[in-house]
Amino acid sequence: MTGPRLVSILRQGSYLIASIHTALDDTEMTAFQHDLVERIGRDRARGVVIDVAALDVLDSFASWTLRTIGEVARLRGAVTVVVGIQPEVAFAMVALGMDTGSVRTALDLEEGLAFLDRVVGPRRPATATRGGPA
Amino acid sequence: MSSTQGTAPTTATAGFDGPGEDQLLPQLVAHLREHRARLRHEWSDRIQQAGLLHAMTPQEMAAETTSVYDNYVEVLETGSVEALQRYARDLSERIIPRGVETHEVVGIVLLLRDVLARSLFEKYQRDFGLLNRVLDAYEPAANRIANTVAVSFVEERERVIRQQQDALRELSTPVLPVRERLLILPIIGVLDRERARQLTEQLLTGIRTHRARVVVVDITGVPEVDESVANHLVQTVDASRLMGASVIITGLSPKIAQTLVTIGVDLSKMDTIGDLQGGLEEAERLLGYRTARDDGTAVP
Amino acid sequence: MPRVEAAEWVGGPPVRDSDAVAALIPMVRRIVAARVADVTAAEDLVQETLARVLAASGRVEPGMLEPYAIATARNVVATAWREQDRQRRNQHRVVDLTAPDLPEGGLLAEEERSAVAAALARLSERDRQALIAHEVSGRDTRSLAAELGSTAGAVAAQLHRARARLRVEYLLARDRTEPPTDRCRPVLFALSSGDRRRQREVDAGRHLLECDVCAALGQPLLERAPQRDDEVRIPIGGDADVVAARQAARELAGRLDCFSPTDLTLLATAVSEVTRNIVKFAGSGEVVVEVLDEPRRGVQVTARDAGPGIPDVERALQDGYSTYAGLGLGLPGARRLMDEFAIASEVGRGTTVTMTRWCGDR
Repeated sequence: MTGPRLVSILRQGSYLIASIHTALDDTEMTAFQHDLVERIGRDRARGVVIDVAALDVLDSFASWTLRTIGEVARLRGAVTVVVGIQPEVAFAMVALGMDTGSVRTALDLEEGLAFLDRVVGPRRPATATRGGPA
Repeated sequence: MSSTQGTAPTTATAGFDGPGEDQLLPQLVAHLREHRARLRHEWSDRIQQAGLLHAMTPQEMAAETTSVYDNYVEVLETGSVEALQRYARDLSERIIPRGVETHEVVGIVLLLRDVLARSLFEKYQRDFGLLNRVLDAYEPAANRIANTVAVSFVEERERVIRQQQDALRELSTPVLPVRERLLILPIIGVLDRERARQLTEQLLTGIRTHRARVVVVDITGVPEVDESVANHLVQTVDASRLMGASVIITGLSPKIAQTLVTIGVDLSKMDTIGDLQGGLEEAERLLGYRTARDDGTAVP
Repeated sequence: MPRVEAAEWVGGPPVRDSDAVAALIPMVRRIVAARVADVTAAEDLVQETLARVLAASGRVEPGMLEPYAIATARNVVATAWREQDRQRRNQHRVVDLTAPDLPEGGLLAEEERSAVAAALARLSERDRQALIAHEVSGRDTRSLAAELGSTAGAVAAQLHRARARLRVEYLLARDRTEPPTDRCRPVLFALSSGDRRRQREVDAGRHLLECDVCAALGQPLLERAPQRDDEVRIPIGGDADVVAARQAARELAGRLDCFSPTDLTLLATAVSEVTRNIVKFAGSGEVVVEVLDEPRRGVQVTARDAGPGIPDVERALQDGYSTYAGLGLGLPGARRLMDEFAIASEVGRGTTVTMTRWCGDR
């Protein structure tokens, strides 16, 4: 994409952190979906955080795209969590009749990463010093 | 006050031998001042015996009864109730939030009237004619005092109630952070569409502000909901979930549960628990359980 | 006015002068730009200033050219303002046929005159008499009213309607076009008179989507109408317009101070849904967002297209009616987000969704 970056996808350990920085139209949203899914495969990500805190609207298409990303990611072995849905946006989504389906949500990036740590293990699995019952 | 009111002299000389009518009240005032400690103490005992003002500590009681006593005597002396009125309003403002009732306030003032009347009786019992004249002067003034205090209290109480109602309307859905990551939303009263909307907005904003992971919505105090409000409730739960918070509903009456089922709400998808206490325990378990699981899943 | 560029001056008046004047261009531009917003108009005024300064440069003492230019620029701008002001005050008198791209040259002027004549000829006798008496003979409304046994207000209203008709007939005559449908004239007339209620009654917005002739002819008429700050119209032609429409709706509604952040988001989401429907099913259309005062304060959104239309509106409003990618949330979802929702659709003609959100009691 040209111009100011609409989205960013960063790798952090075995996770990908995808942030949407501004309102996207459907074409851009679809491009984002393709980029992210492609990155999940390429980086063999185990967890994906999608940060939508900057979005003031998540309409049916955007919600549906997030669900699709989550489902495709699952087929590729990654857990997806959507973070940063604003209070008004959450209410509008529900009133519209949308949700994120099987995709989990968390309050913010920190909570999202904590969630991934719980379900797919810590970000740096190499350091297996943390003990615990197997 | 009685007709003696306007003639209260500026000097309170105590003349016991055949005082004129205009000398009676000053005499009375001097008597009440002289025996202030004893009479006040007697009054306090009577208040305790009557079981009034139990919301107050002994220290508070001592301080307030002293003030009431002094104000009382001042009204007898000056004939003006303005200072008493101010004090009564101020007192009411302080004690109304403590749950002091109107009958208690009226009760203690009447007790004081009684205590003072008895002391007058004792003092003047040997001169029955004088006693009668003293009581004639005292009683109207005492009644006026009782009236002033009662009216001030009731007015203040109404003002407070109005204020509380306004505040309640504004904060009709208080979101209470009980501990880290845990919010309680106790809903009390009838839910209409507008209130339900406010409730949702406050809860969702509260989730963000307090970074809540679990929310307990207690609807014990909600008598009934109509279909649109029930739908709204369900939407609130779903929206909270989208923000990453789990919602536990407590106090769901059979009637409301019936409404929810009737409009097709899948109650199995909602976390409902009988009472608030149980809900809080479940919430803590959720928060604690997660911590435990953090550790448990730490090893891949 | 002849365009004067700095380079052309060489070889005209003495070189010394033209160089000195050319050096003044940036300053004159600044002075004029600070006072005139319209770029084209500003550039005209700059040119006029420079022409005057150049003409006077021989008479101006050395060193005084700059202050002279400053004074001239200010005078030119002031004159332009006065001119504009006079035009505005006299606008009710002018037939207002001066389209921005007024054709020049004798031939065109001739065509222009004949178009006006043809337009006048198509008016009713009564309208024509009134117009000519007022505009050409300069009779005022009061004396006309006295003659006709009417009131000055009624005569003014008649003149207003006559001018509106004349504008329509002029445009038709100029383009040598006959309106293709019976609906064209009423729609163009409603646009020309600036009567919004009439425009709604004849569904002018829909007609402009359907009729290319009126869309072209209506443009100058629409541009003539004063800009309103309580209405915004977003032409829809693609994905990006979905975002533009919902942002415009949020912005306009946000100015009312009666909507909570949640209200604004619900509105924006609903607009997003109905606008997407236009893009998906009709390809293009328009979304109009306007502030309502009657019967209550609120915001109304009209989304219309000239697409294929919806065969079964009832069904389209049911949840789960699949329209794309397993989603049928557009219309029923938008309906849930708004207070009022109405849809009119005709197969082969297109769809109009009208939805309203009222101000809350805040």
